[in-house]
Amino acid sequence: MTKNSLGIYCNIDEIVIEGEIMALLLKTTRFVESQIDTFLDIVSDSATTFQLAVEDYLEGRTQQFEERLTQICDYEHRADDLRVSIERFLYERTLIPENRGDVLAILENTDEVIDNIKDSLLQFSIELPHIPSELNDLWMQTTRASVAAVEQLVYAVRSFFRDLSAVNNYIHKVYFFEREADHIGERLRRQIFGMEIELSRKSQLRFFAIHIEKISDAAQNVCDRLSIYTIKRQL
Amino acid sequence: MGWSLGANDTGNIFGAAVETRMLKFKKAALIAAIFITLGAVFEGSGPSNTLGRLGSVDALGGAFTVALAAALTITLIVRIGIPVSTSQTIVGAIIGWNLFTGRLTDYSSLITIASSWVMAFVLSASIAAILFHLVKPIINRSRTHLLVQDLMIRYALIVVGAFGAYSLGANNIANVVGVFVPVSPFKDLVLSSKITISGLQQLYLLGALSIVVGIYTYSHKVMRTVGKDLFHLSPITALVALSAEAIVLFIFASRGLYNILLNSGLPTIPLVPVSSTQVIVGAVVGIGLAKGGKNIRYNILGRISLAWIAAPVLAALISFILLFIIQNVFEQKVYQDTRYIFDRKSITKISEEGFDISCLSTVNGRTFTTEREIYQELSAQRSLGRDEIIRIIRLAEIHRLKVDYDKLMATGMDKSFSTAQLARLEAINERTYNHKWQLDADLAQEQEFEYYEEAASEREKNHNQILEGKLNILYRAFAIEDKSKKR
Repeated sequence: MTKNSLGIYCNIDEIVIEGEIMALLLKTTRFVESQIDTFLDIVSDSATTFQLAVEDYLEGRTQQFEERLTQICDYEHRADDLRVSIERFLYERTLIPENRGDVLAILENTDEVIDNIKDSLLQFSIELPHIPSELNDLWMQTTRASVAAVEQLVYAVRSFFRDLSAVNNYIHKVYFFEREADHIGERLRRQIFGMEIELSRKSQLRFFAIHIEKISDAAQNVCDRLSIYTIKRQL
Repeated sequence: MGWSLGANDTGNIFGAAVETRMLKFKKAALIAAIFITLGAVFEGSGPSNTLGRLGSVDALGGAFTVALAAALTITLIVRIGIPVSTSQTIVGAIIGWNLFTGRLTDYSSLITIASSWVMAFVLSASIAAILFHLVKPIINRSRTHLLVQDLMIRYALIVVGAFGAYSLGANNIANVVGVFVPVSPFKDLVLSSKITISGLQQLYLLGALSIVVGIYTYSHKVMRTVGKDLFHLSPITALVALSAEAIVLFIFASRGLYNILLNSGLPTIPLVPVSSTQVIVGAVVGIGLAKGGKNIRYNILGRISLAWIAAPVLAALISFILLFIIQNVFEQKVYQDTRYIFDRKSITKISEEGFDISCLSTVNGRTFTTEREIYQELSAQRSLGRDEIIRIIRLAEIHRLKVDYDKLMATGMDKSFSTAQLARLEAINERTYNHKWQLDADLAQEQEFEYYEEAASEREKNHNQILEGKLNILYRAFAIEDKSKKR
């Protein structure tokens, strides 16, 4: 169940029907364009919310953390619905026939980034790992690097649609932040295993650290495809 | 012929657009149908003279067989999956008719036509390459959303495709119905006091309709061949190729553009029916070269080029065989029995034209039934070239004519002539002639019917060319049975 534009909960079919009506009113192209933009807004919002949620968790603001988790779950649903709706429109109206396969691959892979973000936070909520305060700084640094990679990814995808010449700059940034997240993540894991705590806790903390790194890995995967699709689109 | 034109050439125009799924087949077919018809009806009088000079098929049965042979060849080669040139096959079929009837093929006209094919190919490759280099930075730097760009390309494909279809109709309709113009049974259709559809326009409309049938019945398959198997084009490169094709077709078809160039004193481009197939392949090669030449599939290009040589040869062969069958099995007349008399009148005329009549001693006073016989006699003289012999043959040819002013008016053919020209035609109504040049001479008393002897300027050449076309209409319209000839 998802909220529609009027704020009423409805299922995906109703959203698609609502989309059809909107498309009749607006130009189909403009409508799909706005749907893609909304989708990317959601990805960007999810990343920012993720960073805030991790901060809340580390600071012990459990209530606020849970609210952010609910928000991200909502984002994830909306992103899924939008993706399906865009898919339907592209195929039913044979829009961008030459590039629609690529566009759908980009959207699906970008959607996986949100899934990763949600899974990571959900795991925090379920396992409630105790993170020693001396890890806070490195923990936040890893999170920020991963989130930065996702934000640059959103810029890259937007540029793919609007400004092809800028895509490679953003892709370069994504790779940079992904390497940064890996690098800090490694330091974080070394610090975890250097601590005087039980092996089971070390193992649990390592799992969470890797989960955060995986978010930037997912962003990098999208970029791998994006760079090829960009070459394909260039004349 | 119209059917094969619709099936083959529409594929060339919309193939890439349909195969990149930017246009649905139904939409493409509708646009092609509308604009080919418009081009045919409104600008159809375009470049038909060159084909006429190559060999004038003078009997309805022959015209039908030649068209059928060309259509068969196109269908055969298209089935193999190679786009073929309509113009080339019709030229091949006409040569087949020439061979069958013993007429001589005018090599200089053949060279003009063949060189126009090469010219059209090179021109469209150059235009496509230039367009590609112009479009590339614009597209790469454009900040238009992919979806909006897609929409714009779709609209552009429709507009350029329509323009291409219009040019195709104007350029090639003469090939389809040109031979039937003088024998058209259509009378003027008066719809209201202001709207009249001339017999000629009705004929063009019929030709256009046959093209439309071709589009709907077979062009989808050809579009697949052109758009997918031979070269994969992206929507943008498809648009560039289509634009280049439309421009080239327009350049070679538009009398309007020709007149503008003429009036502004610029060099003109000859109005010849070019092949949309060569033009589109040229455009694709142009784009391929502009991209660095790495992505051209040379083996397929080689196959296409080979088919371009095979098509006219095959068409000539099929035409020859069909003519034999039609003449002997169905007992249809495929050509007018023509006689060539070297009597006092024609010898005098030949001498007036500046030929040395001493070399005509072997033919003097004789009557021939085929051009080849005369050629064999005269070529033994060695002092005459092939072109000169052909000119002599034209002067000796018996072509019985009777001026029939009412027929001109009834079939709407009068639309091609000026008031002064019509007045002259009315003045000589009912007169009969044995040779074409006798009618020419009688008509030439009206200034507008006079050839420029030594046409130097483009304007004078243009006048001669138009006049030649008009006279050809008259020769066919006024032709009467030669009663004195043996069956």
